[in-house]
Amino acid sequence: MDNIYRYFFNLDVMRQSLPFLLNGLWLTIGIALMVIACGLTLGLGLAVVRAFQIRILNIFIIAFADIFRAIPALVILMLVYFALPSVGITFSSITSVVITLSLVLAAFSLEIFWAGITAVNPGQWEAARSTGLTFTQTLRHVVLGQAIRMVIPPLTNRTIAITKYTAIASAVSVPEILNQASTQQAQLANPTPLTLAAILYILMFLPLVFLSRYLEHHYGKGR
Amino acid sequence: MDQIISSYFNLSVLRQALPYLQNGLILTLWLSISIVPLAMIAGLVIAMLFDLRQKWLNALLVVYIDLFRAFPPLVLIIFIFFGLPFLGIRFSEFVSFVLAATLNGAAYFGEIFRAGIASIPRGQYEAAVASGLTPLQAMIHVVLPQAIRNVLAPLTGNIIELVKATSLASVVAMPELLRSARIAQGNTYNATPLIAAAVIYLILLWPAVRLASRLERRAIARR
Amino acid sequence: MSASATSLPGTAGETSGQPLLRIEDIRKSYGELEVLKGVSLTVAEHQVVAVIGPSGSGKSTMLRCINRLEEPNSGRIFLGRDEITARNARLNELRRNIGMVFQQFNLYPHLNARDNVALALRKVLRQSKATAYATAEKTLSRVGLAEKFTAFPAQLSGGQQQRVGIARALAMEPKVVLFDEPTSALDPELVSGVLAVIRDLKALGYTMVVVTHEMGFARDVADHVIFMDHGQIVEQGPPAQIFSAPKSERLRDFLSKGLGH
Repeated sequence: MDNIYRYFFNLDVMRQSLPFLLNGLWLTIGIALMVIACGLTLGLGLAVVRAFQIRILNIFIIAFADIFRAIPALVILMLVYFALPSVGITFSSITSVVITLSLVLAAFSLEIFWAGITAVNPGQWEAARSTGLTFTQTLRHVVLGQAIRMVIPPLTNRTIAITKYTAIASAVSVPEILNQASTQQAQLANPTPLTLAAILYILMFLPLVFLSRYLEHHYGKGR
Repeated sequence: MDQIISSYFNLSVLRQALPYLQNGLILTLWLSISIVPLAMIAGLVIAMLFDLRQKWLNALLVVYIDLFRAFPPLVLIIFIFFGLPFLGIRFSEFVSFVLAATLNGAAYFGEIFRAGIASIPRGQYEAAVASGLTPLQAMIHVVLPQAIRNVLAPLTGNIIELVKATSLASVVAMPELLRSARIAQGNTYNATPLIAAAVIYLILLWPAVRLASRLERRAIARR
Repeated sequence: MSASATSLPGTAGETSGQPLLRIEDIRKSYGELEVLKGVSLTVAEHQVVAVIGPSGSGKSTMLRCINRLEEPNSGRIFLGRDEITARNARLNELRRNIGMVFQQFNLYPHLNARDNVALALRKVLRQSKATAYATAEKTLSRVGLAEKFTAFPAQLSGGQQQRVGIARALAMEPKVVLFDEPTSALDPELVSGVLAVIRDLKALGYTMVVVTHEMGFARDVADHVIFMDHGQIVEQGPPAQIFSAPKSERLRDFLSKGLGH
């Protein structure tokens, strides 16, 4: 019991490492917000493009979605960070992480948005087109709103799951929470910073998990 | 173009890397077939415990599920791998990873199965026990087959995520596919092994990814 | 159908017999709301008891207490000499002797008609697959579904689904069959087919408790009619008395409205 206190909840160690971890926290939050903004925008954009059913574009979009859903994010990160420089394309480690996770989130959200678009009742299309709305107007004013409402629960779950993967940034030495915690743990020879990191992650993501529970309940009723 | 081929699709490098990739793939498969069934069974147990309708037990299960959904798996791995030895608890790398991935995966599977069971009308259970089946038999023969059918989409998605999560084992120096590819990359100063690893993941998971999006589209359309 | 009447002895029209099911002063509350305020009732062997009354009168709850899908707060229920409500009652064994037919059918959508009937035969009675299937097919034939063994519930009409539900209950050779508003979820044109099946079961000597809104059916088929209101049995007796000479104000009131629908 004493050991648990000394190694996992050591107040001295906490005090020493907290400033570092808070720096890491801000960085993690920054990366997460960038990823959510870029990933969801790109995913929605590609889903809309896919709705126009242009054959050659669709092949690329589907290939993009499949590739980035099948390959682990850490593998993609390694490719972006370590393989791209071979052809002269170099990104900073933080940029690499944002690019990687944005692409992964885009691939997943694209599939989810697209599933929502196809799930909208065909009668909605017919009704809107019969009043003279163009394809694009129907998509924009009638279909997208309904589609997005339908997919909010799976979209939230997936967004949280991918955003959690910001922790892989530590593998390319981005000084985010986990990386700071590992460094502190090594320097202070005490794993308390890891506990602290765990607590920070929970503080950051638990509200989102609650939000997803609420949304699941709220939008899942019609089933 | 030549540079791309020699940097990313270099056959002589690939030949050198092949033994590494082969061993890495075997470990990745071993990890996958260890954690997927374990996490699934644990998740099923969690979901069935919900059905006992004990208030304090349910509260405990919700806390477990939400905590581990809020917790990046990589943080859990680092915690078990670098934190627990301070308490004198030392697992092999393999066991550490399996433990972390199972704890994490079980939370997701638990939530999925719970939602599935909750989606089945109470009358199904009642009809089964009214004919003399025990509650466990009613669960196994009547409720679960229907419940699982209702959650096939998230179930497939979560299996894919768990297999992809084996790449996180590379962070604690386990020579699975990604780590092996990185070693080969280091030895040859060439990114071809990394590309090869990505392609292997793609081949391994692409059918499951296709299946998952088909199922997901059907699930959203049913809402 | 009567050609294969092998399972139960008894002659048509027989109304008296040994007491089979005995309910003694059961009470049931949900929080503040008391839905059963002390109900007692005896059902004799081969007797058909119809339970009528307005919605929310507690008749379904009473029925569901008999196989303990609802737990009564107090009171005792006996099937023959076994006390169903005993703390140490072997519920799964007792329940196999009590068939139940549900308002919403509650067929298992992932199993075809034959498997719906065979499941409990195999898992509770431990019959082999072949034996269970033979029993299931025989029972389904008896309710007029000889052509539908491999049909899934979604492929059957409401009336056919309910007949599968009845076959599922009968296959276990129960001592008593409970019907919880078996025709309430059916389209009007399908009601008569299901009621005809229940009528045939009476001819075979089955003991049955039927919660129903079909007054004509209760009058023609039941040996004994129970009128419940506000969680109590207000009046009971043979159908002729209940429908032709109701004593209580509440029953008269109910019949004048109830027969209209």
